[in-house]
Amino acid sequence: MNKSLAICLRDVLKFSRQPALIISTVVGPLLTLILLGSAFGGAITHAPIAIVRESNGVYSSNFIGILQNEQSCEIGGTNCQNAFQLIDVPDLGTAQQMLHEGLVKGIVHIPLGFDDSLSAHSKVIVTVTLDNTDPLSTAAIGSEVTQAGQQLSSLIQTSPADNSNMTFDLENAYRNVLYIEFMAPGTFVQSIMFVSIIAGGVQLVVDKERGIIEGYLVTPLKKHEIVLGVLLAGVIKSLIAAVALFVLAIILTGIRPMSIFPTPNPLAIGLTIFTLVLTSLGLISMMTAYAVRSTSADLYRVTSFPINLTLYYTSGAIYPLDGMPTWMKQISVINPETYAVHALRLLMYKSAGLQAVAGDFAFLGLFTGVMLVLAIIAFRRGL
Amino acid sequence: MFGLLGPNGAGKTTLQRMLVTVLAPTSGTATVAGFDILREPDKVRERIGVVTQASTLDIELTALENMNLYGMYYGIPRKKRQEKISELLKVVGLADRAKIPVAGYSGGMKRRLEIVRALVHDPEVLFLDEPTTGLDPQARAAVLEYVKRIHEDHGITLIVTTHYLDEAENLCDRLAIIDHAKIVAEGTPTELKRKISGGDIIEADFSNLPAAALNAIEKANFVLGVKKRDAGLTILVKNGAEAVPKLVTIVDSNGGKLRTMTLRELTLDDVFLEVTGRSLRE
Repeated sequence: MNKSLAICLRDVLKFSRQPALIISTVVGPLLTLILLGSAFGGAITHAPIAIVRESNGVYSSNFIGILQNEQSCEIGGTNCQNAFQLIDVPDLGTAQQMLHEGLVKGIVHIPLGFDDSLSAHSKVIVTVTLDNTDPLSTAAIGSEVTQAGQQLSSLIQTSPADNSNMTFDLENAYRNVLYIEFMAPGTFVQSIMFVSIIAGGVQLVVDKERGIIEGYLVTPLKKHEIVLGVLLAGVIKSLIAAVALFVLAIILTGIRPMSIFPTPNPLAIGLTIFTLVLTSLGLISMMTAYAVRSTSADLYRVTSFPINLTLYYTSGAIYPLDGMPTWMKQISVINPETYAVHALRLLMYKSAGLQAVAGDFAFLGLFTGVMLVLAIIAFRRGL
Repeated sequence: MFGLLGPNGAGKTTLQRMLVTVLAPTSGTATVAGFDILREPDKVRERIGVVTQASTLDIELTALENMNLYGMYYGIPRKKRQEKISELLKVVGLADRAKIPVAGYSGGMKRRLEIVRALVHDPEVLFLDEPTTGLDPQARAAVLEYVKRIHEDHGITLIVTTHYLDEAENLCDRLAIIDHAKIVAEGTPTELKRKISGGDIIEADFSNLPAAALNAIEKANFVLGVKKRDAGLTILVKNGAEAVPKLVTIVDSNGGKLRTMTLRELTLDDVFLEVTGRSLRE
């Protein structure tokens, strides 16, 4: 028994001398609790909705007022906020284009004659078009709009016999997208992040630890040549990983990106690949900038784990950004994965064009540039 | 060929790292192959080859791949690179094993590969830090043989760091002995030996050595120095052949009794002991 105690003591002592390891056993699960809990517990708020108003009158104004004040509350809690952020759009065509480019999550179409019909105590039909490539938002928005309509109906019904009311025609703009399909783009981005962590700049840290880096340093290689070389290798490795995952996900989970099924859209596929390349450039530059000053590969790995979790959970990969608390939204604004996930969803499930993802590309490009310069500056050409 | 000699921790490797531009000196500078290591490190890097103490080979890759990548680091055109590589691999007898991963190589093979890898770009100066440490005597001899041949065939300046005295003595034209980060002696091996006044060494063991006998030995005019060892004395004398009979007489006449006596030439080990006060192998 004493001998077993000796073995036990050895393990405990060694564990106690590695603070990074101890911290990581707590930090990872804690981050998961905070980030995942906050993301999934939140209600969809401030969802951007296009209002196409073809009828001007007191009823339609009332209806819009109700929509504006509609509250959405967190699951099981009392924290409520405005459910929608209403955007006035002049015509249906523009609204549909905005929906396609992901600028709005839904369209509420108040038809011509809305006010006249209601004042004549007859029925009206309001068409609500939903961006169902985001299944969680779709469900929430559909029920909130219906609630607002019921509220208006109960206000304008003067007697129980009054049958003036609104019915809603809820339309899905695209074919049904399953939650697993919604989640898939974030997973591709995460595979790129994994490669960035384990195969990006860390090679430099490992080479430093093993003394191999001295072999490069005595050659005329310039520091930007070394950093760019590492970056390029990382992009190749992460692209292989992301594409392999893409194919396996299609085979194993049955996801069916609209850009490929039933008819492939070459532009959307090309832009998807470009997004993956740009994302890996950005993430690998970031991790290389971090790695070039790390002195221990172990410490680097332990600390990059929480970075990975934070970026993944705040990117909107698993839950719509509209449902996140403000502090998480603030992180998501500067999180490169947010833009990658956003672009991939638009391309994969809507076959959206370049215009829709140009903003994402601009952010990713800028981010990559800054991180690359940072990595080159931080890299020390010496022992 | 220039040798840097010194005990562990003397600063040999640090000096080499500064000369090959991977470590910045805290003060001062140096010129390698005609260029300043601080002001024009890239020009220095183009003109030197370096074999570090710890292996910097990529062991997952083959010898050919290791060499080829190095050639690319120096921007050597493909055709010239391939010719040079196959020539160099032949020189060190690795041509038939050029296509297997280096992980499967013996220590001696790895070291030979590292040495020729540092020659891919025809450097003017080749730095070798402890090229034979950790090798068995046979592998050591082979590596030294190749180093010698490279020096003779290519006329490259070689700077070898070592703590093996025989290696330094056999290979190097000039030597510097470093201790506590300072050069304590410098010159050709012969000059260095002459520095301790020339002469020979007599190692004598006694079964009985009275104080009077020791006193008489120390005072004899042909004796330059005496050091005590476990069982006897190390005596530095002017002329060994003449000193031996004289020494026997002195010991006998003072009631001492000799067990053995060996006459040998001065080695660098003696020089080393003299200038650093400690043995290399300590």
